[in-house]
Amino acid sequence: MLGLLGILEAGRGIAPPLAVGGEWVVEFGSGSAGCSSGLAGLRQPALNISQSGTQAIVTLNDGHATSLNALIDGPDLTAKWLRATIAGKPGERTLQGEMTFAGCAPVAFRAVRQAARKGGE
Amino acid sequence: MTLNLFHLILQVAVILVAARVVGFLFQKINQPQVMGEMVAGILLGPSLLGWLAPGISTALFPAASMGYLNALSQVGLVVFMFVVGLALNPTELHGYGHAAVLTSHVSIVAPFCLGGLTALYLYPRLSDDGVTFTGFALFMGAAMSITAFPVLARILTERGLVRSRMGSLAIACAAVDDITGWCILAYIVVLVRVTHAVRPAWVTIGGSIAYVLIMLFVVRRFLPAFERAYSKRGRLSDNLLAVIVVLVLASALATEWLGIHLLFGAFLMGAIMPKTQEFTHYLLHKFESVTVVLLLPLFFAFTGLRTRIGVGGGGAIWLYSAIVIVVAITGKLGGSMFAARLAGMPWREAASLGILMNTRGLMELVILNIGLDIGVISPAMFSIMVLMALVTTFMTTPLLEWVYPARLFMAQVDELQKNVA
Repeated sequence: MLGLLGILEAGRGIAPPLAVGGEWVVEFGSGSAGCSSGLAGLRQPALNISQSGTQAIVTLNDGHATSLNALIDGPDLTAKWLRATIAGKPGERTLQGEMTFAGCAPVAFRAVRQAARKGGE
Repeated sequence: MTLNLFHLILQVAVILVAARVVGFLFQKINQPQVMGEMVAGILLGPSLLGWLAPGISTALFPAASMGYLNALSQVGLVVFMFVVGLALNPTELHGYGHAAVLTSHVSIVAPFCLGGLTALYLYPRLSDDGVTFTGFALFMGAAMSITAFPVLARILTERGLVRSRMGSLAIACAAVDDITGWCILAYIVVLVRVTHAVRPAWVTIGGSIAYVLIMLFVVRRFLPAFERAYSKRGRLSDNLLAVIVVLVLASALATEWLGIHLLFGAFLMGAIMPKTQEFTHYLLHKFESVTVVLLLPLFFAFTGLRTRIGVGGGGAIWLYSAIVIVVAITGKLGGSMFAARLAGMPWREAASLGILMNTRGLMELVILNIGLDIGVISPAMFSIMVLMALVTTFMTTPLLEWVYPARLFMAQVDELQKNVA
């Protein structure tokens, strides 16, 4: 029991990566109007993130379930066509950054997490 | 026929064929059928089919149809956990004295502490700040401590070891381990769910205590009526069997409503059923066939579809997997073996007991699915632990044959029979 309590006490000081797993409702900025190719057919919640520590798989709710690997480094979430800053407490987490769709200028977005990760899929 | 129903029936057919074929092949290499069924589930998921033929995988298991497969597999698990509880008889531990008590305690404590220690390394790498370290570490400990009681019993039966001193001891210790493991897991589920729960913590905790007391001191008193009805006619009527099913479902619903998990209710219902050998065998026979043949393979396939062994994460994932497997084996096999040796068992028997206790099998998969559902482990951690469950279950039979060959056991039985004569 003492050993276990020691382990639990030691673990309290460990800082894990910020949680981003779950479904996200995305609001795009004003510059998104001219870029229909990437945003057409996008349904809310527009992003689904499956996270394992610093690694994540970001899936776009575009009908094709386009997905890509992402990396979480401190407050930064980085993927091939997505860059965002993570903010807020675990229960009120937000993402703010930009997405780059093929043939478009980067589109600013803000996302709010709908549900914390459940089941990972 | 709607598209979803068509998909579901097609999925069930494919899963059953894969489970039977791979199970048959595993039996050919002296592995229990259930080991093959578990591997079949993994092969149908992204680890193999999804990797080799993503188009076929997506067509066969579209994301939209997963809810139906999950629901069916959960029904199967409810019945299966009732069967596991039914087969458990903790009073079997009595009569094995010091060896059983010491081995069963150490076989929980050693892997639990090592699991917690491993959590210190894995928490910042495979978890996130949505999960507390306490929840993660306790879950790792519980997942490392579990022994697959049903698989263990099947291996011992297939090898004719079930009535040996070592076999009986292993079953008794596994029974105690499973009960302890599920109690710890119930605590973890409450701990994790309380932070996001709909109802206040005192309802969950107070309700859980009240539920257990009602089951042990009220419901249990009425259950011998089923046994008496069975003794009178040598069977139970369909109506009485339906009442038992309803009681299992009601118990499962009660624990789910309380915020523990529906599987605990089903397990406890089985555990408090009368334990007369004939009655237990009768109920096992009634409930086991459909569950084992039809519903459990669906659970294995659903687990396989959530498992991504070696997919993503690079070489680090393999390193984490190796660490988890070594820790799991050291804690469970090593802990049980040294405890049994300390209690006076010869080295060969102590090592065999350790090997048997290290079998995690499908009980581990059940626990891991709960962990993933409540979000206490990440998808990568889930895959690593599934791999650990497969490795520790697969190694049991060959390692046991190496340490305690069947010919040696049979020779001991012959000698014993000669002495008796």
